[in-house]
Amino acid sequence: MGVCPGAGGAAILASVADPGPPGSGGIDRRDLLKAGGLLGLAGVLGTGVIAEVAVASRVATPSGPAGGARSYRWMALSAHEASVVEEAAARLIPGPTDDAAEAGHPGAREAGVVYYIDGLLGALTAATPKVFAGGPFSNRHGSPTDEMARFLHLTPVQHRAWAERVASLRREYAAGVAALDAAGGGDFIGAGPEQQDRILARDPGGFTTLLFGHAIEGMYSNPEYGGNRNEVGWRDIGFPGDSQPHGYKPAQVDAPGVTDPYLPVGVAAALLDLLRASSGV
Amino acid sequence: MVLARAGWEVTILEKGANRFSGLGRRLPGTTFSNDELKSMRNFELPDPLTEPRVFRTSDSDPSPQVGEVQSLPQTVGGGTVHWDAKTPRFWDIDFAKLSMLGPIDGAGVIDWPFDYATLAPFYEEVESLLGVAGNVSDMPAHPTLAHAPRTGHLPMPAGPGELTSLKVAAGARAMGLHPFPALMAANTRPHDGRPACNNCGFCSSYGCPILARVGALAPLTDAIRNGADLMPESLVTRLNWKGTRANGVTWVDRTGRSHTRTADAVVVSAMAFETVRLAMLSDLPDPHDLMGRYLMFHWFSAGTGIFLREKLHTYRGRSTSHVVDDFADPDYPGARAAARDAGLPYFRGGTIEIGGSQPPISEAQTYQGLLKLLAPAKPFGAEFKALMRASLLRERLAGANFIGEDLPYAANRVDLDPSVKDWRGVPVARITYGPGIHEQAAQAFYLPLLAEMMKRSGADVSLAVPRMPSARFPIASGTVPDTDHILGGMRMGDDPATSVTDGVGRHHWLDNLFVADGSLFPTSGGHNPTLTIMATVLRNTRQWA
Repeated sequence: MGVCPGAGGAAILASVADPGPPGSGGIDRRDLLKAGGLLGLAGVLGTGVIAEVAVASRVATPSGPAGGARSYRWMALSAHEASVVEEAAARLIPGPTDDAAEAGHPGAREAGVVYYIDGLLGALTAATPKVFAGGPFSNRHGSPTDEMARFLHLTPVQHRAWAERVASLRREYAAGVAALDAAGGGDFIGAGPEQQDRILARDPGGFTTLLFGHAIEGMYSNPEYGGNRNEVGWRDIGFPGDSQPHGYKPAQVDAPGVTDPYLPVGVAAALLDLLRASSGV
Repeated sequence: MVLARAGWEVTILEKGANRFSGLGRRLPGTTFSNDELKSMRNFELPDPLTEPRVFRTSDSDPSPQVGEVQSLPQTVGGGTVHWDAKTPRFWDIDFAKLSMLGPIDGAGVIDWPFDYATLAPFYEEVESLLGVAGNVSDMPAHPTLAHAPRTGHLPMPAGPGELTSLKVAAGARAMGLHPFPALMAANTRPHDGRPACNNCGFCSSYGCPILARVGALAPLTDAIRNGADLMPESLVTRLNWKGTRANGVTWVDRTGRSHTRTADAVVVSAMAFETVRLAMLSDLPDPHDLMGRYLMFHWFSAGTGIFLREKLHTYRGRSTSHVVDDFADPDYPGARAAARDAGLPYFRGGTIEIGGSQPPISEAQTYQGLLKLLAPAKPFGAEFKALMRASLLRERLAGANFIGEDLPYAANRVDLDPSVKDWRGVPVARITYGPGIHEQAAQAFYLPLLAEMMKRSGADVSLAVPRMPSARFPIASGTVPDTDHILGGMRMGDDPATSVTDGVGRHHWLDNLFVADGSLFPTSGGHNPTLTIMATVLRNTRQWA
């Protein structure tokens, strides 16, 4: 896709994110730039509690890559935290059982986003930290073996950075889940979809922003990281994902586009208006 | 490569990890992959938690930012591991800016110690070494070939045009501009044991999984085959020197143990920030307070076009495939008059990389931010997913990246931050950088033309935005530069009163200490700098060996 520095949406992000003087209803540009949740985390080293849970409930019996229910040992989340994270992520990126508008469109629940997040928070509990998937190829496009499933070693300084990052994230998740539960009268899961949405829209302690960022990663990253199961995230948006070692033939590169007229209404129309208005010309 | 071939006993101390296997073979194994998350997690880059930098827009900036500032790969292979691989040559006017274009008040415009004709054969040699693809016959006689004349053919023809690049090229042509296939060091046919590019779609910002696009790995492989010893995860902490001689380095291994190694000559090539930082931590002589000064990044602007009628299969291809050079010409129609209106004798834009889009996690994060503005009552849910499927900012998006020349200003510089330390407790690089009148006037002149180019490409929505805020354009796409073109700080020149290194990159005050990276540049040019870094270092090194 060839993102050169500056081409495309990354530039859009902040250009519209600094909409005017203070008090004009704008949001903090830096918040947007930190949307990935990877920057600006500070904290001291700490160790998280590794929970091993009995397999029960909807959270613990998703369809795995093989398509059947299976047991899963949580690496970092408690069973309750996992339940709350899964329910909250499903409000942010809903699937067919979460929002009628998403019939036929898998969401965070179907993609296994909670497993991605558990993998992130528990990344350093694995013998080889689950931070950087291996390479060069998965087994999806012509390679007999999935080399991405073999994670890569961290250098000592990388390990130090990730230990700090993960410890900080674990604290944020513990606090975030507690905040969601408190806002839901002690139980976020029992609050019901409308109230859950209202709680999440308030972004308690910034947790919705953090969780949404991670849900996005779990939805659209390579499946080796634990989310995007059966590539449902990619399939829903027509993204083929990794392509090596096949790649694409030259004639596929300069081929005409696919006619697909799109009439922007609602939020999409407002988004385009905002972009037009943010041009520096 | 040159030193190893000349019989020197060469030891390369590399701070980063080695992510290759079988280094020294024509085709080493890699662990690079089509993996957006891995790239976002800084696989090849220094982690801002342990190795932050500080950025401020001026000495009086009330809120310096700490974190990721202009990160280049910190890994065996360096910046070219995940570069965009555009390999234009600089122009004749870049090497003789003072003599050919004249001084500009407030800027330290000087000539390079050598001219274009001197460097031309070294350009040719590096183009052959890397395997640069391109079609000379497609390059415009004016301005490109007039300012960067060349003889003969490139090692291989240009690759297929990317659809987004072709769209924007059509818009450029409709304005009377001269788009052409970018010169690019990605193989279109097998070269030196490495395969042709297969257009996998994960190019700039990713290490090449199949090594169809290399860069520094090519000369590094040659060096290793000629006996150079590469030591990854070896951090040089001090350049040791006495009097007018360097005598070696102190370095720390991956376990944290410190070592000293003596040497007959020391070459520093850590990219401009870290080269300057190391020089300052080593208290290298600097009687004229020049070390770290005249830092340049290029002054980027972004064009964006959104196509509502079709999807552009933006997941295929090799980075952007076309460029436009017209705006790099100080005599572009209207530019001289606009410069005069701004009180300048001339100004200069730069080349434009046209085409490109973004991958899905980046796209999704963009919507996450935008929905807070557009749907604050519920900035998530089905609306978010509908945007992802519509793909306005991925499959319907074509970008353009306008590289504007940065003039060298003494106030733009790298030094050591007085309070922020890295994980080892060592002061980090502090970057002080802001545009002058030249950069802002050129941007004001070219920004509407960039937007016009996107519009003429057939986009239903088109816009152009600065990448960095300035007095003239307070709204920009970022607050910290991320151009990855990091130049100056140890600039070359014949006069020790105005430069840090001499005409071959040797430190003016240390006979056997050499610099070999972008920090050498006296001016920034208006094009991607890596080919010129390599050709300059090749030319310089031949004179040391």
